[in-house]
Amino acid sequence: MTIYRSSVQTAGVTDPDSYLPLPQTQFHVLVSLTAGERHGYAIMQDVEASSSGLVRMGPATLYGTLKRLVDDGLAEELAHRRGPDDDQRRRYYRLTGLGQRVCAAEANRLAGLVRITRANLRPGTA
Amino acid sequence: MSAPHPIYHTLVRLYPKAFRDAYGADLVQHFDGLVADRGVRAAWGRTALDLAVTLPRYRLETIMNERHSANTISIVIGVVVAAGIATLLVDVGIYLSPLLLIVALVLAVLQRSAIARALRAADSDGRRRRLRTAAVLGVVFVASFVAYLLLIGDTWTTRETVLAIIGNAAMIGAVGFLAAGLLTPRTSERHHPNGTM
Repeated sequence: MTIYRSSVQTAGVTDPDSYLPLPQTQFHVLVSLTAGERHGYAIMQDVEASSSGLVRMGPATLYGTLKRLVDDGLAEELAHRRGPDDDQRRRYYRLTGLGQRVCAAEANRLAGLVRITRANLRPGTA
Repeated sequence: MSAPHPIYHTLVRLYPKAFRDAYGADLVQHFDGLVADRGVRAAWGRTALDLAVTLPRYRLETIMNERHSANTISIVIGVVVAAGIATLLVDVGIYLSPLLLIVALVLAVLQRSAIARALRAADSDGRRRRLRTAAVLGVVFVASFVAYLLLIGDTWTTRETVLAIIGNAAMIGAVGFLAAGLLTPRTSERHHPNGTM
């Protein structure tokens, strides 16, 4: 049985839209966690790869962001490691149900902006 | 926590204690990984900027968190109580007390709305009860003060004396319960010691 550390939920806040817009670093970390459980270093590598190297998070920025996400109930830390092959010294994190909904809501918000931008910047519309 | 990179290990100590206790080992391990993967220069290039940005930010957040707000409020509350006691001796005290009470409340609101959050959060029953009692006594104090201002005349009568006694007792009680409520540990703090940065 996997046991998760308790997280401090933001009192009564379960509406994903109330978290939007997400700070860029939080969204990048959440996007990384959509692929599954990750430890901090792997999240940093994911974020760097998915942003083509544009977003480079330092250690304290990364763990400060993870702390905020855990405190807000968007991510949670696994008390037990996934398997014997994983680094037992590292702490793993995963999305909560609320975290998944918030991440999806932010993605929809950004997708809407992208649609508007593309429509406005279509060749010949300027 | 091993210290293969003593300079970074030392710098991590500058972060607030709660953050350091929760993530200090991860920070050092993360830095080790950066050095191993990308070399010392690249690791420091990324980490130096990270330190410069996050150290003051996390320190500031610590100053602004609820526990520190409660400490600040407690100091102001002490001044308010002293002013309330002075009211019994000097007539001008009754004008000073509400002003200081307002200052205390403004401080509480500015510092991340500690009172509002305490009332909203899933706190212990004792904490909620004390804060609600403080709110009720605060209303009594304000009402008696307004009544005092409306009824005050050229001469000091029994009516003003009674209002002054009720108002001061309510004010002292309100700040006492407010301090007790804010200083009562939240349920979440007892179960989650890393709740503050």
